[in-house]
Amino acid sequence: MTAESPSVSPAGRLRQVELGRHWRQLNAESRWGVVILALILVLSVSVPLLSPNDPYGFVDQPLQPPSAAFLFGTDHLGRDLLVRVFAAARLDIALAILGVSVPIVIGTFIGTLAGTTRNRIAETVWDGLVNALTAFPEIILVLGIVAMVGADIRGLLIAIWISRWAQYARIARAKSLALRDAEFVQAAQVLGYSQLRILVRHIMPNVFSEALAYALSDFIFIIVIIGGLSFLGLGVTPPTPEWGAMLAEGRLYLRTEPWLILFPGFFLSLTAIGVALLARGLERISKGEDE
Amino acid sequence: MTSSPGGLAARTLRLLRHPVLRRLAQAFFVAFLLMVFAFLLIRLIPGDPAMILLGDEATEEDVIAYRKLLGIDGSIPSQFGRYVSNLVRGDFGVSIRSREPVLSIVGKRLPVSLWLTVTTIVMTVGLALPLGVAAALYRRTWFGHAFQIGASVLVATPVFFSGLLLILLFAVQVNLAPIAGYHAGFPANLYYLWLPALTINFVLVPVLARILQSSIVETSTEEFVEAAIIRGTQGWRFYWRYLLRPSLAPTIAALGYFAATVVSYAVIIEIIFNLPGLGMTLVDAVRNRDYPLVQGIVFLSGLLVVGLTFMADLINGWLDPRAKIR
Repeated sequence: MTAESPSVSPAGRLRQVELGRHWRQLNAESRWGVVILALILVLSVSVPLLSPNDPYGFVDQPLQPPSAAFLFGTDHLGRDLLVRVFAAARLDIALAILGVSVPIVIGTFIGTLAGTTRNRIAETVWDGLVNALTAFPEIILVLGIVAMVGADIRGLLIAIWISRWAQYARIARAKSLALRDAEFVQAAQVLGYSQLRILVRHIMPNVFSEALAYALSDFIFIIVIIGGLSFLGLGVTPPTPEWGAMLAEGRLYLRTEPWLILFPGFFLSLTAIGVALLARGLERISKGEDE
Repeated sequence: MTSSPGGLAARTLRLLRHPVLRRLAQAFFVAFLLMVFAFLLIRLIPGDPAMILLGDEATEEDVIAYRKLLGIDGSIPSQFGRYVSNLVRGDFGVSIRSREPVLSIVGKRLPVSLWLTVTTIVMTVGLALPLGVAAALYRRTWFGHAFQIGASVLVATPVFFSGLLLILLFAVQVNLAPIAGYHAGFPANLYYLWLPALTINFVLVPVLARILQSSIVETSTEEFVEAAIIRGTQGWRFYWRYLLRPSLAPTIAALGYFAATVVSYAVIIEIIFNLPGLGMTLVDAVRNRDYPLVQGIVFLSGLLVVGLTFMADLINGWLDPRAKIR
């Protein structure tokens, strides 16, 4: 390779090569997951950008079936369903990422802390706490917190953050129990680093990879919770385009205009399926059951 | 300890160490912590709950009365003491909206939810057992592959979408189920319950059948299975005693674990199918800011799951001698 195109820097080329290598390491399941998610991301960015129609604005006669002018038809207020579905994709995916990212950090930190303590009473209380928090049916706990904090996006996110960290803490604790006597941790202790530094710089990074694997399946759950609560009218509320809220609106026209629920529901499910395929594929690769 | 090794104290001590009892003690500890969480829940309200409910023009007496109703008068430790002693006596407070005791509202609405749960579980067992066994036996054929793909798709489909699709299919297109609603009384209520139960099972059955499949595959490599084949064990006895029964434990454990998920999804399902159960009561209570009612239902649902998990553990110990309750 001597003819170097000016647009691709050596570092950029290296990244391309690495991406290619990662792609080849994937199995069929995870490749499908990546393709589906990439498709949804591209559509969610491009469709609202390229379409002349506003997701909030009236464009044409209400309740039109899908046609060449309106690929997904129009909804009960005469808005373009295509634009709304992909505007909703942006919001739902962004909210789900927000919903996952806070519990993973909090949970991993608390779990690592609990895993490195050697106090037996603290361990017993800890077990009970996590078991109690995970005993509540997930949606009921989220509903309970939303009832108190407020039935809006803010309340929904706070409810997800409060209720979802325990699983990560469980994973982090199990992993750091095995790590607390590892040689590199002892070496850090000998060097005289503070307890907090050892925790954050030496143990947490090693715990994080397993937490990330769980985060993928948690993402599915959280996007379903966001949609579910909005479906109940207790999360994102109309007119904001959100898949669950759109399903709730379209439900009233189930008999006569079923496309109102088919399109938002399909893309919500497709997103979840894409993440599920990716998660399952990666899990099988890490277990070594590759075909 | 003054008594001999065979004495009462020693025997009591040994009994206390019994795994089932220890598990029970754990369950009680978790139940206590559930109370703490439920108690803390009302403290998440930003500002004064009484003022939120009454508005700005509330009189001093009204505010004091409402604080008493919500159990938020006095110091925090005394509030908690009162909350726990009330709960233990079965007093879950009063609904702000209807002024009816929370427990009697729950008692009225619970049967619908229980019927839904029972119908769901019966359907789960009826579908997951044959599917899991078939997926294990034919895992290298087209059926095995189709099962894997179908399971991935179904698990990821949210119940509030699959529920609407099923209504579209079975209630609108083919008239096999009502679109929504409920009438009490067995067996007439099954007409209203089978579609909601099927919807929950769209998520539940794939998960459980998958777990069952992989544990059957695992069991089939065990030496006692080989020994049974060599001894010439055949038919039902072989399938149940040597293949299915030792493989059931992880599935039952998962069923206990998914009890929380079933109860969760039941909330959304009750709204979709307009079933007047606990889930619908909870959603109404959230909409009406009926704090004591929300608090009571959240606590009771946690308690229910702790009980179900405990039972699943017990059944596990009986089913699979290899699994010891820890």
